[in-house]
Amino acid sequence: MTGGRPRSRPAPARASRTGSAPRRQRPPDRPGGGDRRARPERRWLTVLAVLLALPVALACGGGPGDARGARRLNVYIWTNYLPAEVVSDFQRRSGIRVEVDTYSSNEALLEKLQSGVADYDLVVPSDYMLQVMVAQRLLRPLDRRRLPGFANLDPRLLDRKFDPGNRFSLPYLWGTTGIGYDRLKVSAPVDSWRALFDPRYAGRILMLDDMREAFGAALLLDGRSINERDPAALRRAADRLRAQKPLVRTYNSSEFASLLAAGDVDLAQGWNGELAKVVAQDRRRFAYVVPREGGTLWIDSLAVPATARHLDAAYAFLAYLLEPAVAARVVGGVRYASANRAARPLVDPAIRDDPAVYPPPAVLDRCELIEDLGALTPLLDQLWTEVKAH
Amino acid sequence: MTHGPHPAHFARTAPGPLASHPPRLSDPSHPPDPSRPPHPPRWPRALLATHTAAVYLFLYLPIAVLVAFSFNRARQTAAWEGFTLSWYGEMLRDERLLGAVRNSLLIAALATVFATVIGTMAALAFAPPGSRPQRGHRPTEVLLLLPVILPEVVLGAALLTLFGAWRMRLSLATVLIAHVVFSISYVALVVRARLAGLDPALAEAARDLGAGAWEVFRRVTLPLALPGIAAGALLVFTLSIDDYVVTSFVAGVGATTLPLHIYSLLKAGVTPEINAVSTALLTVTVALIAVAHRLLRHEPGSAG
Amino acid sequence: MAGEGAEQDGAATPRHRRTADCPSRPPGGGRGDGPAGAGRGAWQTGAGWGTLALALPAWLVLGSFFLLPLVLMLGVSGAERGIYGGLRPIADLAAYLRSGAFLASYRQSLQALYLGIAWRSLWMAALTTGLCLAIGFPAAYALALHVPRRRRGLLLGLVVVPLWTSFLIRTYAWMFILRSEGLLNHLLLSTGLASRPLPMLYTGGAVIAGLVYGELPFMILPLYAALERLDRTLLEAAADLGAGRAAVVRRVTVPLALPGLVAGVVLVFVPSLGQFVVSDLLGGAHTMLLGNLIQNQFAVARNQPFGAALAFELTAAVLLLLGAARAAGGSGKAARAAGAAGQAANEASASGQPPRGWELL
Repeated sequence: MTGGRPRSRPAPARASRTGSAPRRQRPPDRPGGGDRRARPERRWLTVLAVLLALPVALACGGGPGDARGARRLNVYIWTNYLPAEVVSDFQRRSGIRVEVDTYSSNEALLEKLQSGVADYDLVVPSDYMLQVMVAQRLLRPLDRRRLPGFANLDPRLLDRKFDPGNRFSLPYLWGTTGIGYDRLKVSAPVDSWRALFDPRYAGRILMLDDMREAFGAALLLDGRSINERDPAALRRAADRLRAQKPLVRTYNSSEFASLLAAGDVDLAQGWNGELAKVVAQDRRRFAYVVPREGGTLWIDSLAVPATARHLDAAYAFLAYLLEPAVAARVVGGVRYASANRAARPLVDPAIRDDPAVYPPPAVLDRCELIEDLGALTPLLDQLWTEVKAH
Repeated sequence: MTHGPHPAHFARTAPGPLASHPPRLSDPSHPPDPSRPPHPPRWPRALLATHTAAVYLFLYLPIAVLVAFSFNRARQTAAWEGFTLSWYGEMLRDERLLGAVRNSLLIAALATVFATVIGTMAALAFAPPGSRPQRGHRPTEVLLLLPVILPEVVLGAALLTLFGAWRMRLSLATVLIAHVVFSISYVALVVRARLAGLDPALAEAARDLGAGAWEVFRRVTLPLALPGIAAGALLVFTLSIDDYVVTSFVAGVGATTLPLHIYSLLKAGVTPEINAVSTALLTVTVALIAVAHRLLRHEPGSAG
Repeated sequence: MAGEGAEQDGAATPRHRRTADCPSRPPGGGRGDGPAGAGRGAWQTGAGWGTLALALPAWLVLGSFFLLPLVLMLGVSGAERGIYGGLRPIADLAAYLRSGAFLASYRQSLQALYLGIAWRSLWMAALTTGLCLAIGFPAAYALALHVPRRRRGLLLGLVVVPLWTSFLIRTYAWMFILRSEGLLNHLLLSTGLASRPLPMLYTGGAVIAGLVYGELPFMILPLYAALERLDRTLLEAAADLGAGRAAVVRRVTVPLALPGLVAGVVLVFVPSLGQFVVSDLLGGAHTMLLGNLIQNQFAVARNQPFGAALAFELTAAVLLLLGAARAAGGSGKAARAAGAAGQAANEASASGQPPRGWELL
């Protein structure tokens, strides 16, 4: 504690060589000392007051429609999953103020709802996470009577194992997980997950920063199911991902498409919609593929958290999203396939006929839904942390 | 006062640099005479000058690049494709951005008020000017130092744990609490440094002239401490406006502050709009500094 | 002042420890020039209860929103995570404690993998500090000893201005420069220095560049503060006495700059150690540091006990480091606040003006 003392002691002695004793006594002209006290003081106060008043005025005056008591709705949704113009249109029509926060993994959503600190009225978990949340009593059953547009939904996406009878959820968008790549820079055509583990592409690969998707790719490559429950197989997949890590440029679940488009990576694991957008911009250069080993089929559903406080607003928004015209606008904005069957004729034909967005049956046949792994979850969390930490 | 640094400086360096800084807030000693020609030791001066210039280049080049490219028409690349102001237009139409700016200013202003008041009180409590430390002050000292020492990520996680345990919904209020928590210490430390350098004789004189405790405080201590308080307040404002780490843990829905919004922009993709936002922020900051400098420049006696 | 000195001596031992602990207390407050010791107590706005009342708000706020959370987190670090996250309820606390299960997260953190991360974080922070020192010292030296005084204020201000700008934006600037189709690659390609874009973003090097860029001013400012006090006559005297150029630097400049050096090292090292934003943005979630690991446990991996245990270990590391810094001749408890206060003070005094808040940070 006092280690610093001896060392510093010589300093004064050294200093005294040049220091002159009388200076010590010099009446200090400290600020505020003597005659220059009054004016600076006032100036300080003015500056402080202006500094504080300015932002408060800005903050209070600047927010139109921010009035207290205004109806509001807090939505927690995937990044790039809700076009801004759809939100503003709903705000105009309903007078409800919508706050949108985003996440980029199911696990982040679960963490938020579990911690009990979230204040959301609408969330969009994927299939397996929906199942977990229902089991954890984090969701509130839906009142079908308040959702007249329910009949618009595609029956193929209803009554699935993760939410029998759709008591808690409405399917919103669905799609696949595959690989987007730059055809000009990747020599051989890509049709296997192996491409993402190929040393030839070292430093040009992007993986989703998503536990289940990353493991999914590794497991499929091992000839296993995405929902493998054998701990040894999971460990082998983790080994594979660890070995892959030096080849990976970045793990990213929100920017994968734009990083591919910007040329930062040449191969990107990703979700079809955003990659399809990039492909549509330049079909000669980019392509999207669901590898032959298979891929993930996912169905993201709208659900209301148990702690939601703005139920009326939530139902109003759900009903709004069920309208075919609105659903079609969503598809136009995000380029993911809508669960709204009635919306399909209204979707821009260029998107409707895009095989990357609405995959042909052959592709769907080799895709699989992710399932909750139950008691294996901690092991998987642990293995993923180890991969990321490696 | 005409030559050489004050010997006290050396005496002060004794326990350490940080210990020695704050007292200089009010250090009476004057710097060496400006008229004295710089007499450097025989270092290779040219090399040193080049290095220093390079350091400034290093500090400013990235910022300059952002500013320049905020006027670039190209969306994806760093190639120059012509001048445009459209990114600024986009920025001004971005409601989420404007909302984030409002949130940030509101939080910063409120945090500044709360933290400055509480921090100043604490400083007055445990470091009455010129007094020596008393045993009773030790716990307060430690309490006030800890938030400054602790890595931000730890503070954020701890606060999240607390809010979780209390089932407190995250909102602007939780952000405000977090900002006040990490700011109080800074104010207290800065104000205390200021107080420590004050001359107790002034208070004594006031008392001799019949001033009561309150009057001494209001008419002597407070005015003298004001620069320190203002410095603390400013520090809080800037810390609050710029905080990402702690805020990212405790911000709830509708509480997106500017750094959170910028972070999401950075994460969500490459758009030159960020360059425009950066440039606007820089301009505002520099303008503020300049105005403040102006305002405070002509204090009497400042020439000394 | 003589009486004051005596008084000082009488209280020497406890006092010294105290001052060594506390950065912003004027060390030896009454020793040299101090107004300090003379009439102590004269400023007391109120003794005893009054003082307590003044400190009360700070205690209330920090007690409930700082100490309490830390205690809670300590509890969490001893708990077990549930299957999907959260905490598993403990049926029998006594048995749980006896079994030693509450140390599980700490034990986990000692696995080679996580020690590796700790090592990487230390190494990154050390490298950042070393680079900041190597870049910052000559600059601070030139500022303090070569630049004419009237220009010093401006130049010093220019070191401070970047700190006023958003930290994220300064980091983003590097993303913009380093990305594959970023400025640097663009220049390299167009000048023919490279035939294909070099991968620079999302590498360890990018993280280091971002860290050095962000922390450099925190190194320059305290170094400047220390060097500025350096009396040239000392250097001259040393030279007159036959010391070579190197000897002057080694035996005079460096020892006198040491306190500033320690401050700078602490101010750079400690924040770099807990960093997670720079490594996330510039490292591409690829280079995991302690800060990322902790943040990850709370945000995605849903293993709060492990995250909490890591947080406490990081805190312990920081405290140890500060202790070491104090032993090395600087003050412990080095904190940005103290540093900032020092910077403001020194900057202000450098221009011979009273300190201004505006120069702070």
